[in-house]
Amino acid sequence: MRAVVVALLVALVACGGGERKADRQPQAETAAPEAAAADSPSDAPMAAASVTLYFPSASDDGLAVETRDIVDTKRPADRGAQILAALIDGPKTEGALPAMPPGTTLRHLWVRDDGNAYADFSEELAMSGSGGSAEEIRTIYAIVDSLTANVPAIRRVGILVGGRQRETLGHLDIRRPLPPDLTLASKAKPTE
Amino acid sequence: MMPMRNLPLAVLVCVAAVRALAADAVPVKVSTDMGPASTRVVLTFQKKTACAVTPDPGRVKVTCDAAIAADPATGAFDDAILKGFAPEGDHALMFVPGPGYTRIDSFELKNPTRLVLDFSGTRASAGKAPTPPPPAKPLPIIVIDPGHGGVETGAVGPSGLQEKDLTLDLARRLKALLTRQGVTVVLTRDDDRILPLDDRTAIANHNRAVLFISLHLNASKRKTAFGAETYYLSTSATDAEARTLAGLENKAYTPPDAAAASTPADAAPDHGLELILWDLAQNSFIAESSRLAEAVQTELNAMTGVRDRGVRQAPFRVLMGATMPAILVEAGFISNPEEEARFKDDAYKDKIAEAIARAVRP
Repeated sequence: MRAVVVALLVALVACGGGERKADRQPQAETAAPEAAAADSPSDAPMAAASVTLYFPSASDDGLAVETRDIVDTKRPADRGAQILAALIDGPKTEGALPAMPPGTTLRHLWVRDDGNAYADFSEELAMSGSGGSAEEIRTIYAIVDSLTANVPAIRRVGILVGGRQRETLGHLDIRRPLPPDLTLASKAKPTE
Repeated sequence: MMPMRNLPLAVLVCVAAVRALAADAVPVKVSTDMGPASTRVVLTFQKKTACAVTPDPGRVKVTCDAAIAADPATGAFDDAILKGFAPEGDHALMFVPGPGYTRIDSFELKNPTRLVLDFSGTRASAGKAPTPPPPAKPLPIIVIDPGHGGVETGAVGPSGLQEKDLTLDLARRLKALLTRQGVTVVLTRDDDRILPLDDRTAIANHNRAVLFISLHLNASKRKTAFGAETYYLSTSATDAEARTLAGLENKAYTPPDAAAASTPADAAPDHGLELILWDLAQNSFIAESSRLAEAVQTELNAMTGVRDRGVRQAPFRVLMGATMPAILVEAGFISNPEEEARFKDDAYKDKIAEAIARAVRP
């Protein structure tokens, strides 16, 4: 577990997940100020935090819940990047399905002071809209609901593909950041 | 006041004329279509061209920013609303309305650039009107939007059934049923072609449709996913925009600081106020859209015996900007082999169309 946490942390720093503006964002969690402002991994707390991820349910058309441990970093962009990495990694239980098309990677995540986060994915994400709206809806809200449920500083999520804004992935308007859809998540029951 | 205001335009036109002398004229295809109480003229430009429409007493002038070559160059019609058109200079076309003409509306479409001119009026006084005189009360118009089209196939079933073909098939069946009930139905596309999402609602808005119905077929990674569902626009996304908009109005809009433009949103050019306002258009019709969605879903469940998947909300792009009650029907999952097989059966497709027609009958 510890090796995983260290690996995650290294990956996180390598991704340059830092966001200057995010540092000014008031935090819901209590964190030592010096830890919140940390720029080097050695200053960050090594504790693990439990987060709730939303994946497409295998048994209905809503979202299923899985829990994960991530490195308990307080910076919204770091926390969000870990959550999206876990979503991309995929579900661990039988009750959930992958949230994103195979090969999708996160290019970057920005978190702004106004509560908007912007997640920029590789082109593979657009494949989620090549079929029906059902999967597109679940892909988009797996991302939006997982980020907003676990990062208090994120209230809406903008989705970008290949560094660019898109009108849709096929059906839903993603020109601007979306708030979570709690009706999809409210159906969800823990599948563990 | 008007001459003053027109002066810069006149200068602009002159500059454009000088510049265009050397260039080849832009070919413009002119097509006309007579409706019961209007004549529609569509100018299709071979390349992007901006034009101004100036209605004057006894004539309507279309002035473009480039030299144009109309095909046909002139037109003459035995019509009480529009008598004909002819070029005026190399940048303009002059349209001559008839005695029944009352009004001109125009709008633009993109890809390719089109300018649509709708000459409204009446042909009642014309002795040999091609159509019967319009009824006292205009017939309601319903716009039906067959989802996807062209290279954009939409979902594809396990045996190869394509969503774009099925949506058009269902739309034509629905149109036939509603037409028999005295409803005028306009399809956003009546062939297999790609159509931008904005154009779909533009067609509904322009026709002053009373309802907009977008037809789709669904697909899921869950092979057991089955049944029809009806959507209307979720307002939470646009509510947030409304609040943002209110904020902008209160504190006056400040353009993003270039140095602070660290996110793509800061740099995005299309985040204008106009766009947001337009997207809010559907918000005024949410209650009616919700009732319409309920009615359609109830009929679909009763008629086809499909499992009730219920009415749902999502920020469907195609519903935004519709200035009338608007819904999106996902008629079934063609990813499910059993349901795909049903959609190959004419009787089943008729049942789906009949169910929707019962719900929307005025």
